[in-house]
Amino acid sequence: MIGQLLALGGAVLILFSALGIVRFDDVFAQMHFLTKASTLGVVLVLGGAALVMERANDWSSLLLAAFLQLLTSPVAANLIGRSTYLTRVRPIQGSTTTPVE
Amino acid sequence: MTVVTMLVLAAAAAAYLVRLVRGPGLSERVIALDGLIVVGISAVAVHAMSTGQGAFLPVLVVITLVGFVATAAAARFIERTDGVDQRPGDAR
Repeated sequence: MIGQLLALGGAVLILFSALGIVRFDDVFAQMHFLTKASTLGVVLVLGGAALVMERANDWSSLLLAAFLQLLTSPVAANLIGRSTYLTRVRPIQGSTTTPVE
Repeated sequence: MTVVTMLVLAAAAAAYLVRLVRGPGLSERVIALDGLIVVGISAVAVHAMSTGQGAFLPVLVVITLVGFVATAAAARFIERTDGVDQRPGDAR
């Protein structure tokens, strides 16, 4: 039961992240939603499923997937942000940024 | 409960698809694809939780790693282009 509740909460967080990505037009603002809300959401879903599954083979796969997601998601967003910045796309609304390189 | 979770995930996938279609740049589309990968991982996990069948769970690890490699490669590709999503025949 608690695993299902955690999964539902994680799905709601993923929905919030998707709404934020639709709502904002700035790439650098969208990356906040992809890295923060969506990563926490998928970790909650996988953790909730790991609480429900009984065989060790199942929940260890889920925990490994959650760990890898936690590890790779910030790096991926950083790569996208860096390459977007290098193509001379700048954040909207004149926020103060430091030059790359 | 499982049905509600799946419906929420479907709504999230629809929202990511809107951003994937609307663009306008390459970075937005890559971000939307990354979000769709997250939705897919969650859907597989929720389905395994509701049925108790864990046969597909190692796939989640593979999808996570492949998604990261795809995003890294796309980021390198964005650096080479000028960030504008161009199709053959587009006048720029």
